[in-house]
Amino acid sequence: MPAAAATMVSSAGGLLAMLNESHPQLKYHALSNLISFVDQFWPEISTSVPIIESLYEDEEFGQQQRQLAALLVSKVFYYLGELNDSLSYALGAGPLFDVSEDSDYVHTLLSKAIDEYVSLRSKAAESSDEAAKVDSMLEAIVERMLDKCIMDEKYQQAMGIAIECRRLDKLEEAITRSDNVHGTLAYCINASHSFVYRREYRQDVLRLLVKVYGKLPSPDYLSICQCLMFLYEPEGVANILEKLLRSENKEDALYAFQIAFDLVENEHQAFLLNVRDCLSAPKSLPSESVQPGSSSPAHAQNENSTAPEDVQMTNGSSAIHEADPKEVMYAERLTKIKGILSGEASIQLTLQFLFSCNKSDLLILKTIKQSLEMRNSVCHSATIYANAIMHAGTTVDTFLRDNLDWLSRATNWAKFSATAGLGVIHRGHLQQGRSLMAPYLPQGGAGGGSPYSEGGALYALGLIHANHGEGIKQFLRDSLSGTNVEVIQHGACLGLGLAALGTADEDIYDDIKSVLYTDSAVAGEAAGIGMGLLMVGTATEKASEMLAYAHETQHEKIIRGLALGIALTVYGREEEADTLIEQMTRDQDPILRYGGMYALALAYRGTANNKAIRQLLHFAVSDVSDDVRRTAVLALGFVLYSEPEQTPRIVSLLSESYNPHVRYGAALAVGISCAGTGLSKAISLLEPLTSDVVDFVRQGALIAMAMVMVQINEACDSRVGTFRRQLEKIILDKHEDTMSKMGAILAAGILDAGGRNVTIRLLSKTKHDKVTAVVGLAVFSQFWYWYPLIYFVSLSFSTTAFMGLNYDLKVPKFELLSHAKPSLFEYPKPTTAPTTTSAVKLPTAVLSTSAKAKARAKKEAEQKANAEKSTGPESSSAAANTGKGKSSSEKDGEAMQVDNPPEKKSEPEPSFEMLTNPARVVPAQEKFIKFLEDSRYVPVKSAPSGFVLLGDLCPNEPEVLSLTDSPTSASSPAGGSAAGQQSSSSAMAVDDEPQPPQAFEYTS
Amino acid sequence: MDPQLTEVSQLFERFKAAFVRKDFDTCTNFLSQLKVLLTKFVSLPPLFENTPNAVNELLLAGEIYEHAVVLSVKIEDQDAFERDFFQLKPYYTDVGSRLPLSQQEYLILGLNLLRLLVQNRIAEFHTELELLSATALENPCIKHAVELEQSFMEGAYNRVLGARQTAPHETYVYFTDLLAKTVRDEIAGCSEKAYNYLAINDARQMLLFSSDQELFEYCKEVSVQVTSIISIKCEFFFKGFGKQRLFRLVPNDCRSILSRR
Repeated sequence: MPAAAATMVSSAGGLLAMLNESHPQLKYHALSNLISFVDQFWPEISTSVPIIESLYEDEEFGQQQRQLAALLVSKVFYYLGELNDSLSYALGAGPLFDVSEDSDYVHTLLSKAIDEYVSLRSKAAESSDEAAKVDSMLEAIVERMLDKCIMDEKYQQAMGIAIECRRLDKLEEAITRSDNVHGTLAYCINASHSFVYRREYRQDVLRLLVKVYGKLPSPDYLSICQCLMFLYEPEGVANILEKLLRSENKEDALYAFQIAFDLVENEHQAFLLNVRDCLSAPKSLPSESVQPGSSSPAHAQNENSTAPEDVQMTNGSSAIHEADPKEVMYAERLTKIKGILSGEASIQLTLQFLFSCNKSDLLILKTIKQSLEMRNSVCHSATIYANAIMHAGTTVDTFLRDNLDWLSRATNWAKFSATAGLGVIHRGHLQQGRSLMAPYLPQGGAGGGSPYSEGGALYALGLIHANHGEGIKQFLRDSLSGTNVEVIQHGACLGLGLAALGTADEDIYDDIKSVLYTDSAVAGEAAGIGMGLLMVGTATEKASEMLAYAHETQHEKIIRGLALGIALTVYGREEEADTLIEQMTRDQDPILRYGGMYALALAYRGTANNKAIRQLLHFAVSDVSDDVRRTAVLALGFVLYSEPEQTPRIVSLLSESYNPHVRYGAALAVGISCAGTGLSKAISLLEPLTSDVVDFVRQGALIAMAMVMVQINEACDSRVGTFRRQLEKIILDKHEDTMSKMGAILAAGILDAGGRNVTIRLLSKTKHDKVTAVVGLAVFSQFWYWYPLIYFVSLSFSTTAFMGLNYDLKVPKFELLSHAKPSLFEYPKPTTAPTTTSAVKLPTAVLSTSAKAKARAKKEAEQKANAEKSTGPESSSAAANTGKGKSSSEKDGEAMQVDNPPEKKSEPEPSFEMLTNPARVVPAQEKFIKFLEDSRYVPVKSAPSGFVLLGDLCPNEPEVLSLTDSPTSASSPAGGSAAGQQSSSSAMAVDDEPQPPQAFEYTS
Repeated sequence: MDPQLTEVSQLFERFKAAFVRKDFDTCTNFLSQLKVLLTKFVSLPPLFENTPNAVNELLLAGEIYEHAVVLSVKIEDQDAFERDFFQLKPYYTDVGSRLPLSQQEYLILGLNLLRLLVQNRIAEFHTELELLSATALENPCIKHAVELEQSFMEGAYNRVLGARQTAPHETYVYFTDLLAKTVRDEIAGCSEKAYNYLAINDARQMLLFSSDQELFEYCKEVSVQVTSIISIKCEFFFKGFGKQRLFRLVPNDCRSILSRR
């Protein structure tokens, strides 16, 4: 009977009727048959759901029959779209609900069940009640699901669910049983950072991960150390580093160095110092030979002229001792790693890079300077700020030296900030910082100097040593205690706070506190901020002490300083900070509420925590004080910087607010969270605000726009060019308001910050927050009240460079490929000089036509250089290359324009570009970077930017170094001579600019 | 022969014997056992698995359910009728092509139509009707039901009430009796909406009762929650058919008084 197979039931009516039969066996028969037909006949069955439900509730009915009924009802509800009912009946079905079944029903219900379980678990965890409330059936289902995922080798899913459900036991099981433990661990770390919102729980997860890592045969130390840093366990990191350093293998040592560099990138000063101190001294060496390493910054200060320390160390130790070669090797490596951990190595290399690759455009500054009215001091100092920002970290102070007369118009606080600006320019010049500033520093009671420049110099020292202030802190303390001039105290407090950022040093705290208690408005404000900087992220009890004083004092300035300081102390503490935040946001005083907004912003920085966002939005629309509302909106930028795409969407309505303060906040929020991303949406949001009716909104929007567009060139987004022209127009316009003019000048500075080689980055490459950068921006946003705080923006600058380092921490010649059109990421073209004297004429008109030609010409030159590079024999081209690079970059392509015009319309642009170590790699470019396979050096980790240790495949051949120590070593005599020159009236200390690096053959 | 099938057919023989004896309690008993036994056959609805004995089993099961339906009419149990009919239906609709036409089929389908008419489920009545073939509609049993429905819809209630005499099968009588009541309910429902008051004579005529006594009894019966017929100023009130609205029956001589108000 072939037809029989095709026979199908046409209705479930018969079976449904059977449910009404009195005999239980008939009911069971009907149920089990209905289950198999429910997919087809659920509309019919749905009318009989009450009957089936009553069967499920019938106590006399057998256990299995009841579960069957439950399963049937669940399926019907599922088809009806009543997922909640469906889930509760599915739970009633017990084991009959088969998680492994591959049907929509099961998939839907499982995800529903997991959601339910997750919300129950997290609710239980948050209210710290017993988790007993969770339905055991639900738990059983989720567990079955997890087990199944693990069985099916779907580890990522299993881990995701386990993390969300707070089932660390299952998480561990999933990780250890996976076939690629490293991969899963890396995935898990990523997941825990981006999806785990509660800090405590995230720490639990990370602790577990570290445990699992530890059990592996070949642990991924890079990741472990990142975890340990998050958990604040310096001993663990120190142990790992020591193990690696003691290894025979050179690779391991390189690995240790890489770890150290990665840790440094997160800028957690206190932690790094702890790690350094935990590293044990080499056994056979007498302790004094290690000493210089551990107190290296101070040491370096005293002996300015010493050669790089590692060299000295190895010489010293091997000469004195014929000790165990292993220990000698360890000692040598230890010195290096301590150098890295203290941040010196990276700072020095960065400094060299920024100096040698400085591409800042003095013409812009010149235009600004010329167009300004003589007496407008706001714009005058804004220009000084812009100069400092533009040259941040490059040590190039040509502009100041060329315009000493103009500069001397700065008086009082303008003088303070002019002096402090030097700190920004020389940021990271750790060795010579003090001698550079020497002419301005307080002369031990001898007087003479203006207190403003003395205070500014102390502030500058802080900026130079920001977050690496071991060597300078004592000096700053002495200066602080040796004065009672409030301007100097102001500078010293800020400087101390910066230098000792986050170290929670009790002595310094007491020093600053005594300044605070003098109740002087100017000094007190800085003291408040300084205390906060000192205690960043410690959630110290001192916050309540500060809060109490803020209630006591009459000075708004002090209250404001303290409010910000308190906010800084809870940096990154998330829920732990809730009590304090509550206290501050409920305060009568709007200034403290305003501090509360900052506390919210900093405690939940980069977490995109929904609760925090909701709270901030609430304050943004409901508070009575404009200051609080502005700050609340601005704070959103900090909370959201890990997800910059979100910010424009969230603040878009606020940016259309009737209240200019809210609009201003919205602009800065976008600026902060989208800094350096060049996000199209962010630019679209800011664009209308740059021509707002209110002057300060324009100011904020211009600054924010500059922050967003930093290092984006016109080829990437044409609006960058438009914006540059807009800035120029505002600066040149005589009738423009001072406020927006100042904004435009600052924006011009930020846009070309750090010689066009830095970007604003709040997250490190491992997605950790960069403490210094976030704190820097937070304090920077205070410039509304106090202009000198603008300099804090320099803390958030991070160099966009790839720097490959060899075992000696030198930069060898190494090439990498950028698989994108060179024009996308090249430096913006320098502005051409307007017809010499008349500043009125817009240079932009000339730009647009000649720029293209020039760009083409420049590319041409680059191509040629590339071609030569690739063809020429390696050894001989090395020297030539550096020379060529220099000429093409430093001469601004002007010469090229003259040389090459006939070749204009030839050859399309190449689709790739060879970069030479150290290379400028802007963030957007990172994804195009590739390492060449047949290269001599192999990177320890394949990161597209930052410091990367390179393994040398031919260690016996001589290495060619492309970036040498020359800036520091060459300038060390300059530092010495500066001491002699300090009496001279010009007093710009480094008259001998360090020479640009000369290539030389390095023989090991 | 399959032992299970033998067991079922033997039990079915005993059921039929009891059925002929009109020992309905025993019948119900046997029927229950039969149904349980039938669940063991995979060839039956809804599985329809193709076993060697499939046709025999289907035939036997179909016959059992047909008897079950008739039995339910005999014991005047409408719920059981519905239950058994639905279980029987797949044998007609789904496997009809594989089985010889059952003698009872049209009789039972007609009964079902009648039942729907009695329960006033006109929509379902027509759904069922649409499913029937042209030949089925020619069958006297079906025709009977269809004609009844037509008269019912036209309002030719006298024809409906006279249908008792033309019933094609003895089992139909039960339903035609019930139908008379349905008709009265229908009339009463309409009157309730149509009239504010109604003279007892007219009401009696309209509801096709032969005496006032029957009318009053009917009134009591349909509106269980209605207390009784109350006499206030020679008016009779009673609540209509479970609805809240008052429907008044008035003595003949009061009509003029009321119309004057």
